[in-house]
Amino acid sequence: MNALHVTRQTRLSLTTLILLMPALVLLTAAPWWAGRADLRLMGEIALYMSLATLWNLLAGYAGLVSVGQQAYVGLGAYVFFALTLLAGVHPLAALPLLMLVGAGMSATAAVLLFRLRGAYFAIGSWVLAEVFRLTFAQVSALGGGSGISLPPAVVRALSDDRWMREAMAWWLALGAAALVIGVVVLFLRSRNGVALTAIRDNELAARSLGIDVWRTKFTVYVAVGALTTLIGALIFLQKLRISPDAAFSVNDWTAFVIFIVVIGGLGTIEGPIIGTLVFFALRQTLADLGTIYLIALGLVAIAVMLWAPRGLWGLVRDRWGLEIFPLSRRVAGLNEKGH
Amino acid sequence: MKTLSRRLFLTGSTTLLAAPAILRGTRAYARTPVLKVGHVSPRTGPLAGFAEADEHILAGLAERFAGGVENNGRGWQIQIISKDSQSNPNRASEVTSELILSDEVDIIVAASTPDTVNPVSDQAEINDVPCITTDCPWQPYFFGRGGNPAEGFRNTFHFFWGLEDVIGAFLSMWDAAGVTKTVGGLFPNDADGNAWGHPELGLPTPLAAAGYTLTDPGRYQPLSDDFSNYINAFKAAGCEIVTGNMIPPDFGTFWAQAAQQGFHPKIVTIGKALLFPSVIQGLGERGPGLSSEVWWSPDHPFASSLTGVTAGELAGGFTAATGRPWTQPIGFKHALFEVVADVVARAADLDDPDAILAAIRGTDLNTIVGPVNWATGPVPNVTKTPLVAGQWQRDGDGIDLKIVANATAPQIPLTGALQLL
Repeated sequence: MNALHVTRQTRLSLTTLILLMPALVLLTAAPWWAGRADLRLMGEIALYMSLATLWNLLAGYAGLVSVGQQAYVGLGAYVFFALTLLAGVHPLAALPLLMLVGAGMSATAAVLLFRLRGAYFAIGSWVLAEVFRLTFAQVSALGGGSGISLPPAVVRALSDDRWMREAMAWWLALGAAALVIGVVVLFLRSRNGVALTAIRDNELAARSLGIDVWRTKFTVYVAVGALTTLIGALIFLQKLRISPDAAFSVNDWTAFVIFIVVIGGLGTIEGPIIGTLVFFALRQTLADLGTIYLIALGLVAIAVMLWAPRGLWGLVRDRWGLEIFPLSRRVAGLNEKGH
Repeated sequence: MKTLSRRLFLTGSTTLLAAPAILRGTRAYARTPVLKVGHVSPRTGPLAGFAEADEHILAGLAERFAGGVENNGRGWQIQIISKDSQSNPNRASEVTSELILSDEVDIIVAASTPDTVNPVSDQAEINDVPCITTDCPWQPYFFGRGGNPAEGFRNTFHFFWGLEDVIGAFLSMWDAAGVTKTVGGLFPNDADGNAWGHPELGLPTPLAAAGYTLTDPGRYQPLSDDFSNYINAFKAAGCEIVTGNMIPPDFGTFWAQAAQQGFHPKIVTIGKALLFPSVIQGLGERGPGLSSEVWWSPDHPFASSLTGVTAGELAGGFTAATGRPWTQPIGFKHALFEVVADVVARAADLDDPDAILAAIRGTDLNTIVGPVNWATGPVPNVTKTPLVAGQWQRDGDGIDLKIVANATAPQIPLTGALQLL
């Protein structure tokens, strides 16, 4: 036990892991202890947390700074509406199908977008999202530029009972968030994750070590694309109404998400989680103030960038070396003198 | 110091335990019961012009509602909780669910464009909360939400005019002008544009029936920066009239390019873009002479059922309080709450959403924007208010919207004659 060895575990991560199970059980039981409004807010938080975690994997780990993730949110929403409304698929059965569509579309998009780098990639991804928006605005079966509502019948297919419907919406959101965070943590702990860290730190050096840079980034982009379509579908299952401007809104699905990740801490798993909580705390308290709310968000972003450029969690980690999710390796078994 | 005796402790704790049983009661037994009304409106963002008068109207209503509204012999307090949709349909849907779930409002009201009323109505429909909306033509509201004229909706109601009224009002203005019956159509690919340009439900069929030739080059994407194709098509067809439904920035672009490219129609009648005096002033010399639909003006011969003020007094009050010229949504915003107050007064049981729905269905009220009665609508859950056509004309130093055609609603007096551009 005292022998020198390399481990990822810390006392904090072990405690968290042990506490995670009861916490998940408690959250799963939320329909029994939370009110309808709280349940809906928590669902929204879970979905934003997923979006932020996914964007963080792209930008913080793979170095793919995309400002076009709304393309996949909107795609997921539209494919969900198309499957349930036009093809009559059950809402739950539609979810895995639309993830396949998301994976297929993002694989195609990746081939095109990966020819661009840095700022050009960012702009390219935005252009792609606009192409999606303009394309769906031409599909008159889905309302074209006017948008379309999800008929109550489709929502009632989930369950006839209102309580059950709201509980299911929450379980779907919670399940999606758990899936997303779980996939990202496992991915980063795998060989691919190590490769990704190497690429993030220095792409040229990583390539000279024999890492297939293109394939690693491709895997990340496609996985993020598929999961983002899932989140998009769940978001619009709550909103009940879709229109090209709402589904492909760069403000709602990318700008706010970037804000969350930057506030929380780019390149950490904990960052997007903390950032989402901060964002919702601000929104719940200030959103009724109109334009002042957006000014306040801007001020918070500026303040964090000036005083905590690595985000709130970056500040904590730099100071105390804390890590909730066991990702980085550290040497254990050293005594105080360092032997 | 006196210590707590066993007897006191027992009485005290029993009272504490038993208290909820007697204190709970229902709202109806409280001294003044409160009815909560949720209000969603685009206070900020590109649609903010529509909500410009919100604060003024709500302040006036708060004064009127301070005395409560009587229902079945009891005074009810009406509490209005207003939320900003930020002109964003996503946000409109979020705030509506907040109003329904956390504020637990009894009635939802919303106004201004399909981007506000449709998402709000959808949330109210699935959550079984009575909902009244206005300020959006009924076709994008009804058909845009997948409404079926045989069934209608359960919880959501709407009052405004429809495209058939716009067509009627525009035609009565154009017919009298004596210009060539060739019309150019500008319809964007959005909820309003698709409804206006729809081959059967929109402008094309009735215009053809009235002997007009419509040149419609197709839907353009909102916020376009080039209308050359449209201008060329209109020039080639010899259009003397231009119509459509646009947002102000698109109309500004089109109108500037029309001047540059030498296209001079004699009548330009555009829906939505030309409602606000600020837009017309922004067009400078080329503003006066443009025409638009008129849903409400200070000259409408109606008065509020709630406060008794006339249309002219309501508009004058807004100008006196804010120093800004009157705009059309003012009357409808006021009327929305007139309907609410009327429903509150008539409902058989305000604690029962079904009784509130029944009261809404039974509405027969003369408001400041005209009669509201859901029994007379073109489709279920929709009722119509009168519509006329007007033209922006110079009036002293400023500009004013004059009513120049009223064949569709003769009870509204003319205030000017159409002048060709």
